[in-house]
Amino acid sequence: MAWRNVWRSPTRSWVVISAIALGIWAALSLTGFATGMMKSYVNSAIENSVGHLQIHAPGFTEEYDLQKQLPPASELSTQLEALPQLQAYSMRTVVSGMASSSQGARGVMVKGVEPEQEAAVSAIEEKLVEGEFFPEMRGNAVLIGQELAEKLNLKLRSKMVLTFQGLDREITAAAFRVVGIFDTGNTPFDGGTVFVEREDLNRLIIAQADTTTVQSDLVYEAALLLNDVDQVDTVAALLETALPGQEVKTYREVSPDLELYESQIQNVSMIYLVVILLALVFGIINTMLMAVLERIKELGMLMAIGMNKLRVFSMIVLETILLGIVATPIGLLLGYLTINYVRENGINMSAYSEGMASYGLSQVIYFDVEPGVYTQMAVGVFLTAILAAIYPALKAIRLKPVDALHSF
Amino acid sequence: MAVITTKGVEKVYNPDKIPVKALKGVDLEIEAGEFTAIVGPSGSGKTTLLNIIGGLDRPTAGYVEVGGEDISQMSDNTLIDFRKEHIGFVFQAYNLIPVLTARENVEFVMLLQNRSKAERHARADELLKAVGLEDKVHKRPAELSGGQQQRVAVARALAPKPTFILADEPTANLDSESTANLLDIMARLNQEEGVTFVFSTHDQRVIDRARRVVTLVDGKVDEDLRR
Repeated sequence: MAWRNVWRSPTRSWVVISAIALGIWAALSLTGFATGMMKSYVNSAIENSVGHLQIHAPGFTEEYDLQKQLPPASELSTQLEALPQLQAYSMRTVVSGMASSSQGARGVMVKGVEPEQEAAVSAIEEKLVEGEFFPEMRGNAVLIGQELAEKLNLKLRSKMVLTFQGLDREITAAAFRVVGIFDTGNTPFDGGTVFVEREDLNRLIIAQADTTTVQSDLVYEAALLLNDVDQVDTVAALLETALPGQEVKTYREVSPDLELYESQIQNVSMIYLVVILLALVFGIINTMLMAVLERIKELGMLMAIGMNKLRVFSMIVLETILLGIVATPIGLLLGYLTINYVRENGINMSAYSEGMASYGLSQVIYFDVEPGVYTQMAVGVFLTAILAAIYPALKAIRLKPVDALHSF
Repeated sequence: MAVITTKGVEKVYNPDKIPVKALKGVDLEIEAGEFTAIVGPSGSGKTTLLNIIGGLDRPTAGYVEVGGEDISQMSDNTLIDFRKEHIGFVFQAYNLIPVLTARENVEFVMLLQNRSKAERHARADELLKAVGLEDKVHKRPAELSGGQQQRVAVARALAPKPTFILADEPTANLDSESTANLLDIMARLNQEEGVTFVFSTHDQRVIDRARRVVTLVDGKVDEDLRR
C-alpha cells in the first residue's frame, strides 16, 4: 500500500525523487571536484619536484645548513638502485639564496640537479615554455620560472646572479645564463625555484681552499619517484632501516600544506554535503507532511477500523524510504556518469586560472572519487530519508481518529 | 443478549472553557440482531453517541460495554485492536482507500488481522458478491459510483465478522435508488445472517426500514420505539 500511496500524486513524488537524485548528483560531483582538485594539487606538487619520497640529512630542511649532507652520492645511488619499487631518483644539491638581475632581487631555492636524473623524476622539462632543458653548453646554465622571469625582467639567454652561502659559510655569487623558462601553473613555485646543474652548484659551494670534499659526492636531497604512489609508506619504512640516521619523508611530510589542503578540501566538501542533506531533509519533510495532511481523513479511517499506530508510522516511513529507493540509483547513476565523463575529459577552469594557479592548481580539473563514496552517499541519503520521515509519521500517529474523521 | 450497553453516558466538550454538554446520561441496550436507527435533530448528540459506542471517543462519565467488555477504560492501543476485531464502520463519505481495489479494500482489515491470503480472498469475494459487486472486485473507488462505493464499505465493515456495524449517515450522499439498494442489502444481512446494525441518520427512508428507532433530543433519549 505504501508503494501505491507514493504514486497517488505522481508529480509530487517525482519532484521529491528529482530533488533527492539531484542532491546525490550534486554531492557526488562536488566530492569528485574536491577530490580531483586535491589530486591535481598533490600531483602538481609531486611532479614539480617533490617526488614521492625525499631523503635529507636530519634537520637539513629547517635551515638548509650545508653542513648537513647526505652520504656520498655514489653510495646512496647504489642503495637506491637496489629498491625494486623505485622508478627514478634525482640527487640534488639544494641551497637557499637570492636571484638578482638589474631589475631587482628575489629569494629563491636553488636546486642543483643532474639533468637526466631530474627529467625522470619531475615534469619540469615538460613545463618549459621557452628554451631547452640544460642544453650542452659550458656551465652555469639556469632554468627559471615564468613568474620569476617577469618579476626580474629576465628573458631567455639573460644573465642573472645567484648569491648563496658556501660550505665554509662565506657568501658566494656567480653569474648564470637563463637557458629555459618553465611554467608549472603554480605561481609560488615558479617565483621561488630555480634549477641549475648540480655540478656547477657543487663547484661553487666548495671553497677553493677545501681539498677534502669530493665534488661529485656532495648531495643534500634525494627525490624518489616510485612505481606506485600507494607504496610510499612501505618504501619510506624500508629506507629508514636502510639509511639509519637519515630523514626519509613522504610527499605529505615534505609539503605539510598538502595534508592541510587535503583536510581542508575534505572539510569543505563535508560542509557542503551536510547542507545538501539538510536541504533534502526539509524537502522530504515538506512533501511527506503534505502527503499526511491531505490524507488526514483517510488516516483517521485507517485507525478507526483497526490500523494501529505502529503500522501507520511504518507506512509513512516506508513511503519515504520507497521514494529514496527510487531516487538513489538515479542520483548515483547521474553522479557516476558525470564523474566518469569529467574524469576522462576534465573541466577547463582556465577562466579562473590566475586564482587557481596562485593556489598551485592546474587549469584542468579531472573529477575523481573513491569507490566507497557511492556507498556512503547511498547510506547517507537512506538515513536522511528515514530521519525526514519521522516528523510527518509522528504527526500522523498523533491524529485522533474521531477528530480526523471530523464526523462519524 | 445485549451487545451494546451504555450506562449514564455523559460527554462534555471543552470542560475547562465553555463546557458544552453533548450527552446528558444516556442509558441504552442494543440486542444482537437489532436493526437500530438513532435519530434526532442536529446537535442532539447522535454523532457523539456513535463515536463513544464505536470506541473512537471516551465518555466524560458513565461507561460503555461492547460484548460484555467495558471499552471506556481501555488504552488507545487496546481500543484500536478492539475496534479491529469487534466493530465494523460505514462512514458517510465511504472513506475507502483510494489506492486499493474493491477487493483489497475489503481485505484490508483482515490483513491487519493477519489472516491468510486465501482466506482473505475468499471472504472478500463472498462479501462483494453479497453486496452485488462481484463484477467490480478489481475496480478502484474512483471507478465506482457513490452507491457502489458505499456497498464496498459495507462489505469491508463485515469482513472481520464484527459484533456489530456502526453506520454514520450511510445514505446521506446517495440517490434514492442507491439508498434503496443499500438498505435492501443491509436488511437482508440483518435478517438472514443476524448482523447487528446501528445507524445514525436523518434519512426518513432509513428510519422507515429500521426496526428500532431511538430518538435523541438535547443529549438524552427522548423516545425508544421498537417495531
